[in-house]
Amino acid sequence: MSLIEIPVGPQHPALHEPIMLRVRADGEKVVDVQVVNGYNHRGAEKLGERNTWIKDIFLYSRVCGICNTVHAQTYTQGVEFIGGIEVPPRAQYLRTLIMELERIHSHMLICAVMAEVVGFDSLFMLMMRDREPVMMLKELVTGNRVLSDYYTLGGVRRDIDEVKKDKILKVLEKVEERVKYYKKVFLEDFTLSKRLRDVGIIKPSDAVRHSLVGPTLRGSGVKSDVRRDDPYAAYGEIPFNVITYDGCDSLSRMLVRFDETLESIEMVRYILKHLPQGPIAPKTPIRVIPKGEAFSRVEAPRGELFYHIVSLGGDKPYRVKVRTPSFHNIINGVIAYKDANIADVPVILTSVDPCVSCTERVLVIDETSGKSKVLRLKDLSRGLR
Amino acid sequence: MSKVVDYLRSLSLKELEVKQPRRYVFEVSPDKLRDVIGGVIKVSPQTYVSAISGVDYINEGVIEVNYCLWVIEDKVMVVLKVRVPRDSPKVPTIYDLIPGALNSELEAYDLVGVVFEGNDKLRRGFLTPPEIASQNVFPLRKDFKV
Amino acid sequence: MPSMKLIKYSPWLLHFNTGACNGCDIEVLAALTPYYDPERFGVKLAPNPRHADVMVVTGAVTKKAAERLKRLYDQMPSPKFVVAVGACAISGGVFAGSYSVVNGVDKVVPVSMYVPGCPPRPEAILYGIVKLLSKLDGGGK
Repeated sequence: MSLIEIPVGPQHPALHEPIMLRVRADGEKVVDVQVVNGYNHRGAEKLGERNTWIKDIFLYSRVCGICNTVHAQTYTQGVEFIGGIEVPPRAQYLRTLIMELERIHSHMLICAVMAEVVGFDSLFMLMMRDREPVMMLKELVTGNRVLSDYYTLGGVRRDIDEVKKDKILKVLEKVEERVKYYKKVFLEDFTLSKRLRDVGIIKPSDAVRHSLVGPTLRGSGVKSDVRRDDPYAAYGEIPFNVITYDGCDSLSRMLVRFDETLESIEMVRYILKHLPQGPIAPKTPIRVIPKGEAFSRVEAPRGELFYHIVSLGGDKPYRVKVRTPSFHNIINGVIAYKDANIADVPVILTSVDPCVSCTERVLVIDETSGKSKVLRLKDLSRGLR
Repeated sequence: MSKVVDYLRSLSLKELEVKQPRRYVFEVSPDKLRDVIGGVIKVSPQTYVSAISGVDYINEGVIEVNYCLWVIEDKVMVVLKVRVPRDSPKVPTIYDLIPGALNSELEAYDLVGVVFEGNDKLRRGFLTPPEIASQNVFPLRKDFKV
Repeated sequence: MPSMKLIKYSPWLLHFNTGACNGCDIEVLAALTPYYDPERFGVKLAPNPRHADVMVVTGAVTKKAAERLKRLYDQMPSPKFVVAVGACAISGGVFAGSYSVVNGVDKVVPVSMYVPGCPPRPEAILYGIVKLLSKLDGGGK
């Protein structure tokens, strides 16, 4: 039995974050997967202690660019809790609006990337094209396509008017139509079914024991969503459904994301219809926070995001602990690779929505012959030649 | 109410007053940690480790390890605080009880220096770059200056 | 120089993320989609470093990723160019001064073009690459 070790390393054209998976394979079957991370570690938690409370909003937004609004939400929500700061209702609704817009674009992105990983390049291009209007909406509301920098302690920094509201509703109509079409493609297309169905099975009890979160958990039928169970911002007042699928495979996880996108579009419509009047931020900026501690949880597109904030009084935090959903989903998600083929490894990794760019080549070392070949992750996902 | 919270209250652990809704904080000593966690999982198996957060209180000479557990059924977060002396921060591992705690324990070891006894997978360099890992310093301790 | 002409008409890009927040990466990814049509410049993603002409680097260079970056750069055949995209790649951005970050790509490999922004728009990224190519026409590096 000759075991090949394949480092699926930090550079990969489709998944855009540096993380390395060491895959040990016997023939085509995966025997073991080890995750080697740390390429992305920038010491944000330590830097946070050096900055003031307000500066840290900008720092923690940049822990992840794709889910930056949820990072800002979790951080400001915790700090506002410690400081007893009231957030006006209009600001809560606007925060929810921008978080849902982010959920829409993030889910469309990972579904497009999944299409690319499977080899369906034209679907990837089409989905990216249809995602561009959502980025434009984000720019309309916050002033920037990706990194919104929308939050301040006690509120938000920009307001929207009737013109913007109408634009958002009009654009979302088209987006909704396209998302419904892409969901149909994922359900009915022969290639996608073959690559995604019954691949990367995670049983519900395993998913809970291994702390998997978000669509990865809900794709195994477990009804757990922070927006429903631990409401924050305006979610307590907005009606929505928690989506679960019982398939436990990669296809279920992607379908959860499609349905959540459609739910998000409905939620945005509700928010715009019921947006309360009033101020959007406190009149004077708040600089000093009293002593206290907060455990803040938010549903990011990838799962539960958790911050533990400790304040000893003053204008700087004492400790901010960040636990992103992908920390659990990628590292503990290695249980999904059991009995998979090598070609399934990128599919399973994409289905847990890793928030890490993998842009490295794959080095295949055949232990018996000692020859080494260089492959891309893309080639790997299309089968070793 | 919450089954897990009732169970923890019945153990006469010190409960800290918390104003945040759906959060319950208890103090646990290191030697009782495994029994408490084992009991929590028995009462409500659908419980997972959301995070393990280590805080260095250098002025008090303790490192406080916060086990943040989310109970899916009861919809509450239970935080177990374990305080250990800074010069010998040892806590028993729980990853055999809850496999999902493994990565959090590795992170707490690499960044704060908490030693999880019984965890054979602990290693430096999990997140930190090699030059820090080789020096036996822990970046998130207060005596590590950026 | 004949090889310069080949690059000018069809530069193949290699994208490497050295520890970014993905903001710049999704804008690089978006820049490669038909909405911005990079193929009119002949720009496409290279299958591996040995086929690449231009390396697009994003991210505050973490120390672990820095040695990978150097290795990738060495594997590219000459003539080769590096474009640093985003505030973090230029100087470390908000993460400058961290214990885990080398402040800027130019501390590891020579950079030919900087595209500022946090993150820069896809049009800005393409503009940076095209500007690099027109620099080549004048017999640049």
